[in-house]
Amino acid sequence: MRRSIALCLLAAAGTLACADADASPFEGEPYGEALALTEITPISAIHDAPEDFVGRRVLVEGQVVAVCESRGCWIDVESDREYEKIQIKVEDGVIVFPMSLRGRTALVEGTVEKLELTHEEAIAAAEHRAEEQGVPFDPESVTGPETIYRIRGIGALVRDAATAP
Amino acid sequence: MTVEPGYGSARKRGLGVRWRGWNRVLHRTLGYLCAGLTIVYAISGLAVNHIADWNPNYVIRDDAVTLDGVSPEASRSPDFAERLLSAFDLDETIQGMYRPDPDRLDVFVEGGAITVDLTSGTAVYESVRDRPLLRAFNVLHLNEPKGLWTVAADLFAVALFLLAFTGLFMVKGRKGVFGRGGVYVAVGILLPIIYWLLWR
Repeated sequence: MRRSIALCLLAAAGTLACADADASPFEGEPYGEALALTEITPISAIHDAPEDFVGRRVLVEGQVVAVCESRGCWIDVESDREYEKIQIKVEDGVIVFPMSLRGRTALVEGTVEKLELTHEEAIAAAEHRAEEQGVPFDPESVTGPETIYRIRGIGALVRDAATAP
Repeated sequence: MTVEPGYGSARKRGLGVRWRGWNRVLHRTLGYLCAGLTIVYAISGLAVNHIADWNPNYVIRDDAVTLDGVSPEASRSPDFAERLLSAFDLDETIQGMYRPDPDRLDVFVEGGAITVDLTSGTAVYESVRDRPLLRAFNVLHLNEPKGLWTVAADLFAVALFLLAFTGLFMVKGRKGVFGRGGVYVAVGILLPIIYWLLWR
């Protein structure tokens, strides 16, 4: 019995000793790495000249308008221009976005990437996304090859809806 | 001193008893400590294994209504969103709104989202609710909290390793790891290897 208690105490002490001391310099709900950039790039600017941004680290801000329902591995962030948004893709499991983020404002940091999909790849990608969102998919809705610009996200900070600007 | 054949010296026998004793204590203690989290991980493992067939985290339900007097222009009036909430008898705070295109409006509330087709007047309320317990199990299993939980999960992994290792030596003799038990261990190791070789 004494040996069992000693082992339990040792395990508890180990857990406390290894407590994570990381603290984000930002207020809000952090996801992934702490944000390093301070200058916000308008999402409309990325859409206007996407090639200029490919490979560049950016910090964008906007309302979260969609979340991956099955794995929480991407979000769509509303642009500063009407009817526009950009997808933020994160590594599966590294960052998991909950569905409750919809309607809240997010600051997201990541690298702009370009995906060039053949017609078949575009159909497969759209089908996969429809599956994730649990919505019907019509292959006819994908008419040809697609080029997608999105952000490979590494960190985000989500503000409460009430405090969103 | 008489030493019985096959049993070694008294000194060796003493060391063996002590080693086996500690092995047994470690295995028993880890077994008790890991029982709860093993059950959590096992249930979550089953749930997320079948993620293609169902949503293991959320219960998502769609309810639809058709509204009169809906148009892209009408949707810009200040009371339109409140009208939507009333249509679904919702008493929730609006978190935000988004227009993916001129004919569609998304209204986000705490418990979900309302999507309105501004040409047909069809509004769909998608309510999202965490699956009781299972959502929490999955969050822990997939280490969504990170931080301190990473340490706890690492310790759990080490504990499982030790549990498996000490388990090998719980039984001596023909039924132990150097007898029939060893055959079971070999089967347990070979199964994933064979599957991997066939699958890759």
